[in-house]
Amino acid sequence: MEMADEREEEAKPEVVLVARKGGFGLPTACPVCLPVYCHLRFANVDFKLEFDRANPDSDHIPYVEYGDYVTFNNEKGGVIECLNEDNVVKLDSQLPKDCFPDWASTKVMISTWLAEAVQYELWVTCDNTIADDIYFSDLPWPIGKILHWKQTQAVKQLHGITKLNAAEKEEEIYRKANIAYEALSMKLGSQVFFFEGRPTSVDSLFLGHAVFVLHVLPETSVLRSSLSKHANLLRFVQDCKIRLLEDSYSSATGPAFSSDASSSSIPRRKGSKQNAKTKPKEKRERTEEEKAFRRRAKYFIAAQVVSIVIYLSILGGMGDSGLEDGDEDGLTYEE
Amino acid sequence: MATPSDSEAGPNPKPVEELETESATNDEHQGEDEDEIEEEEEEEGDDEEAEEDETPAAQRENINRLFRRLSGGPVRLRVQDIIIRGNTKTKDALIEAEVLDAFRSACSMQELIQAAGLANTRLRQLDIFDSVSITLDSGPSELPGTANVVIDVVEARNPLTGEFGAYSKPEARSWSLEGSLKLKNLFGYGDIWDASGAYGFGQTSEISAGVSLPRFKAISTPLMTRVSLLSQDWLKFSSYKERLLGLSVGLISTGNHDLAYNLTWRNLSDPSHMSSKTIRRQLGHSLLSSLKYTYRIDHRDSNLRPTRGYAFLSTSQFGGLGPDSRILRFIRQEFDVRGAFPLGFYNAAVNFGVAAGAIMPWGRGFMDSTSPLPERFYMGGHSSPICSLGGPTSLLGFKLRGVGPTDERRAILTKHGEDEATTPGRIASPGGDAIGGNLAVTAFADLSFDLPLKLFRESGVHGHMFLNTGNVVDLTPAEFKNFSFRGFLETFRSSAGFGIIFPTRFFRMEINYCYILKQLQHDHGKTGIQFSFSTP
Repeated sequence: MEMADEREEEAKPEVVLVARKGGFGLPTACPVCLPVYCHLRFANVDFKLEFDRANPDSDHIPYVEYGDYVTFNNEKGGVIECLNEDNVVKLDSQLPKDCFPDWASTKVMISTWLAEAVQYELWVTCDNTIADDIYFSDLPWPIGKILHWKQTQAVKQLHGITKLNAAEKEEEIYRKANIAYEALSMKLGSQVFFFEGRPTSVDSLFLGHAVFVLHVLPETSVLRSSLSKHANLLRFVQDCKIRLLEDSYSSATGPAFSSDASSSSIPRRKGSKQNAKTKPKEKRERTEEEKAFRRRAKYFIAAQVVSIVIYLSILGGMGDSGLEDGDEDGLTYEE
Repeated sequence: MATPSDSEAGPNPKPVEELETESATNDEHQGEDEDEIEEEEEEEGDDEEAEEDETPAAQRENINRLFRRLSGGPVRLRVQDIIIRGNTKTKDALIEAEVLDAFRSACSMQELIQAAGLANTRLRQLDIFDSVSITLDSGPSELPGTANVVIDVVEARNPLTGEFGAYSKPEARSWSLEGSLKLKNLFGYGDIWDASGAYGFGQTSEISAGVSLPRFKAISTPLMTRVSLLSQDWLKFSSYKERLLGLSVGLISTGNHDLAYNLTWRNLSDPSHMSSKTIRRQLGHSLLSSLKYTYRIDHRDSNLRPTRGYAFLSTSQFGGLGPDSRILRFIRQEFDVRGAFPLGFYNAAVNFGVAAGAIMPWGRGFMDSTSPLPERFYMGGHSSPICSLGGPTSLLGFKLRGVGPTDERRAILTKHGEDEATTPGRIASPGGDAIGGNLAVTAFADLSFDLPLKLFRESGVHGHMFLNTGNVVDLTPAEFKNFSFRGFLETFRSSAGFGIIFPTRFFRMEINYCYILKQLQHDHGKTGIQFSFSTP
């Protein structure tokens, strides 16, 4: 029995989370990568953390590899959604249906209002050193500077921030963030987690956001001071941080993988029930007839080109393939 | 155009007879006195005019006297002064620098005529004049045995020119259609500014602009600088796209030696999201700062159909120049040796060649790091190994990047219709990415011969039989100790075949039948008829 369990352990592909590098006392300092990290930790998935240092401007990071399968952040709603759909992590699958509307709206609020506020503070209001440390410190200086400038412009464009409306936009962003914190604080109350006393993707998203705000943003940050007004939210962050982040940061791996199939599973190559997926850009299977037709068409076109070339070469004579003298006057030109 | 080497000379340098090989285009030279020896060399498009100041009989007598004089022995003569006329924009210093060396060393009439020919060639090669004419005039009467060199230039009437054609460029890695605009001699230093756009059939597109100077201050060799924006699509072969923004500076460019510095910002991306783990780990931004030295000698009688001679190429590239440790660091070396010898019948010749290359990273932690993906060696494609010295890349019969290490692409799950609840998910075969290798070796032997038909022989169409072999492996520094030479030899791929070659003015086309003698599991070799296009 033990040997069978060991063989089963060895057969399971390794789970690798590729995220942006750590810093500020966190295993990963990127506000997009932190929620995914927390999600895997909540699900007790044993995974390895690797860093990508060359893609600061790409939205496909973070991504999770399990064997030959990969889920990217810019596909199908993000890594957490893909992990849920592929049954790698099933934190959300056991939520009762009556919680779904509340859960969905809370998730959207965190993913939009709070995420935008973090982006605004990180790229627009804070000084450049924080973003440089997280995204560009491993790139050569000229590239880092240019990409930083590009990213700042992209964030401003995304939020429609111009010199004329900068103050109004800032006020709107912080107002939404305050509403979100208020709502989350009321939702959490004195519970350990937001829904049903167990972690879901909402907890992952909020924990990732809050840890970033409290540890990475400077003390003068408006978001940080807004979040600090809600004691229960701070308690939630503190409790989860102790359990999930501080232990793992030193070892870069989570607790032992749980074989409980109800909470998580790794898709296998054979003998597993999986939700079927189609490749986003899957090619249409060609019939044998179409392949034969294409092959014949290529040969036909090639034959036409060859016959033209033969005609031209025979009529035109040999090209400049004869002796190529160095100089027409016979002098050797050397320097 | 050349100074006639069989001319006869008279005993006395004065009067110097008039010697014409081609007529002058400049009407100012008409009617000059019989003390001048004139050597005319013209650019294309100029009209010929005969100068008739004397009776034909007297002129012939003068020329014969001069020929007798020159063939009798060296006629002591040195250059007193160089007079430059016709340059309104071009700096005198540039023209003098091009010709001074040639004339300084001349101390006889014969050497002077040769030097004039050389100087004329150099000035024409600047590509900024419509015509160049060099006249040797007698020096001051108080300085016997001297001559003045009069250089008449006609600057390009239209400094802006355009070109369109098919080229093979290292940056494009294949041949491409290219259009370019050139602005010549804008500041009078022989500077040539050009802007070009290229589209290659390897899914390559490039926009570039550059300037070349024939000399810059103390540097007497041409200097070239180029800024280019290149996009190359390798999605089909290796699941990544490459974008480069580069600055290259040609520091030394002589007949055999070429030294260039390259600063490139490179970004590898995978919009298809299908790349393998090896490719994924290398995606992103990087900075390349490298020095590349090329030594090339090519003594073959032809690039398109060599029948005798040899060629050698050595390319050394050192990447990581700069204080920043985050710049790509690697050392890359390529060798390519070719030889050809005739067999003496049917114009047959045997060509053979061996090429090898290696790349390895350097710097802290180099044992565990990998070499950059685009700088690695990829083998395959239908380019002929005969035409150009391209390193260990060509292996006929195999597709582009069809030989070498691969890595499995991202696996995907396919949907089963009604039975998805009970039927296990099926894994669609994702294929593999060509990831290149750190060590590559190729070799070939080719026998070319004339075809029996006279029509083919006259047009240069000929046949050939060939044998190719090659191998490329991913040999990291950590694995070097375990490298087995025998294992490396045993994994060589090979192909053989025969075909017909059609050389045209712009390219060389081959229709070959290739038979794959040996290939490994993930190689993409195919037995059958293939077309190959190469540019010399």
